[in-house]
Amino acid sequence: MSRMTPPRQSLMAKRLAVPVLALGLALGLSACATRPDPADAEAVAEFNANNDPLEPLNRGAYFVHDGIDTLVLRPAAEIYRVFLPPELRTAIRNVLANLRTPVILVNDLLQGDTQRAATTMGRFLVNTTVGIGGVFDRATEFGLLGHTEDFGQTLAVWGAPEGPYLFIPVLGPSNPRDLVGTGVDTAFHPLTWAGNSGETLEAITITRTALTALDTRESLIETVEQVRTGSLDPYATIRSAYRQRRVVEIRNQGGAPAAARGTGFGAGTGVPQQGRPGAPTPQR
Amino acid sequence: MQTLDRRSLLIAAAGLALMGRAAHAQQIDPARATAFIQQTGEELVAAINAVGAPVAQRRERVAAVLRRAVDVEGVGRFILGRFWRTASAEQQAEYLKLFEEILIRNLSARFGEYQGVRFSLGRSQARTEEDVLVNTVVERPGTAAFGLDWRVAEVGGVPRVVDVIAEGTSLRLTTRSEYSSVISRNGGNVGSLLTAMRQQIQQLAAREGG
Repeated sequence: MSRMTPPRQSLMAKRLAVPVLALGLALGLSACATRPDPADAEAVAEFNANNDPLEPLNRGAYFVHDGIDTLVLRPAAEIYRVFLPPELRTAIRNVLANLRTPVILVNDLLQGDTQRAATTMGRFLVNTTVGIGGVFDRATEFGLLGHTEDFGQTLAVWGAPEGPYLFIPVLGPSNPRDLVGTGVDTAFHPLTWAGNSGETLEAITITRTALTALDTRESLIETVEQVRTGSLDPYATIRSAYRQRRVVEIRNQGGAPAAARGTGFGAGTGVPQQGRPGAPTPQR
Repeated sequence: MQTLDRRSLLIAAAGLALMGRAAHAQQIDPARATAFIQQTGEELVAAINAVGAPVAQRRERVAAVLRRAVDVEGVGRFILGRFWRTASAEQQAEYLKLFEEILIRNLSARFGEYQGVRFSLGRSQARTEEDVLVNTVVERPGTAAFGLDWRVAEVGGVPRVVDVIAEGTSLRLTTRSEYSSVISRNGGNVGSLLTAMRQQIQQLAAREGG
C-alpha cells in the first residue's frame, strides 16, 4: 500500500507542475508578436527593424515597470532630490562615477582604444587624489573629459549581435547583449573584488547600488515624465530611443552621454536625455 | 562592335559622373546651413525668452519661425512612412496640420521650463550625403548643457530643418516609431492616430493655459 502512495513532496510538485507548465506555455505562446502578413513587404521590414519579436511580453514588463516606477522608484528619486542639496548630490554622483572608472578602463582596453583608456586612467588618478576620493571632478577641469563604456558596448565592438529587444522591470530597456554586459561589468567593478566578503563590504555594496539607482532615476525625472505624458506610445518611444542611443554609444560618437556624467547602469540608462520627441526644440 | 559598346559605356559613365557632380553642387553649403541655424536658433530663443509678451503672442512668434524653418511636409510624410499612402487625401491634410500644431504646442506648453535658454554653435558641422548636420549646444539655467544636432537640407531652393538629433536620438526616427506603433496597434487605422494627436494637442493647450 505504502509503495503506491507517492511521497507527499513529489505529489505537490506534480500538482504544481501542470499549472506552472501551462502558464509558461501560455506566456511563451502569447509572448511572440504576431508577425505581419509576409506579402506586405513594408510591414515586414518595419517588424524586422523594430527588432521586438517578444513585444507582448515586453509590453507586459513595461506595464509592471511603470507601476513599480510610479509607486516606488519615482517617489524615492523625488525624495532624494528634495532632501539632498544639489552639491551633495553632485558629490555622490562624482564618487559613484569615480568608483566605476575601472570598469570603463577595462572596457576601453578590451575595445583596443588606448587613447580613451589613457584618458580614463588620468581621470581616475586625478579625481581619486586631487578630487579627494572622487568627490570633486577635477579631471574635467584639467581637460580630461569623461566618457562611458560598458561590456555591452565591448561585445558590440567585438561583433556580437544585439539579440531581440527586451524590457526588464526596474532595469529598463535592454537586450541580451546588454544584459550580459551588465553582469560582466558588475564582475569588473572594484567593489566586487575588494577584500573579503564581510558585513562592511556588503553594506557598502548595497549603499552603492541604492545610490546608483537613486542618482540615475533622479537624473531622468524630467525626461521620463515628458515621454510618459508626451508620447502617444511611451513604450515605442523608449524602444526607439534606446536602440538609437546605443548605436551612437557603441560608435563613441556624440557628446558625453548621461552615464558619463553620472553613474552608468550600462543596460539601464538608455532613456534619452532629450524629452518629448516631435518638436525641433531644445528639450531636456 | 565590342569597342563601340565599351566606348558608349565610358561616355555614359562620364555623363553619370558629371550628373553626380552637378547634383553635388546643388547640395547645401555647410556655411549656409550654419548661418541658417544660427538665425533660426536666435529667433526661437528670442521668442521663448520674450517674458513680457502674452503666451498666445509668443506662441504665434514660435509658430512663424517653425513654419519658415522646418520642412513640415517632408518630415511629416517621412514620419507617417508607409501609412502615408493608405491615408486618404483628407487624412493626409489633417495629419500635416495636426503635426505642425504639435511641433508648435510642444514648445509653447513649456515656455516656463525653457525660460532663460541659450544656445551656441558647437564645434562640428558635418556633411552627409544629402544634408548638413549643424551641431549646437543648448544651455538652460540649472541644468547641464547638452548637444543638439540640426539636420539641414535644401528644400525648394531654401534651407530647411529636416531632423533634430538630441543626445544621439533622432526625433524624426523616434516619432516615426511612436506613430507607426499607434496605427499598427489600432489595426492599421490612420484615423486612430489623428484622434490621438487631437487629444494630445488639447492636453498641450491645457498645459499652456495652466
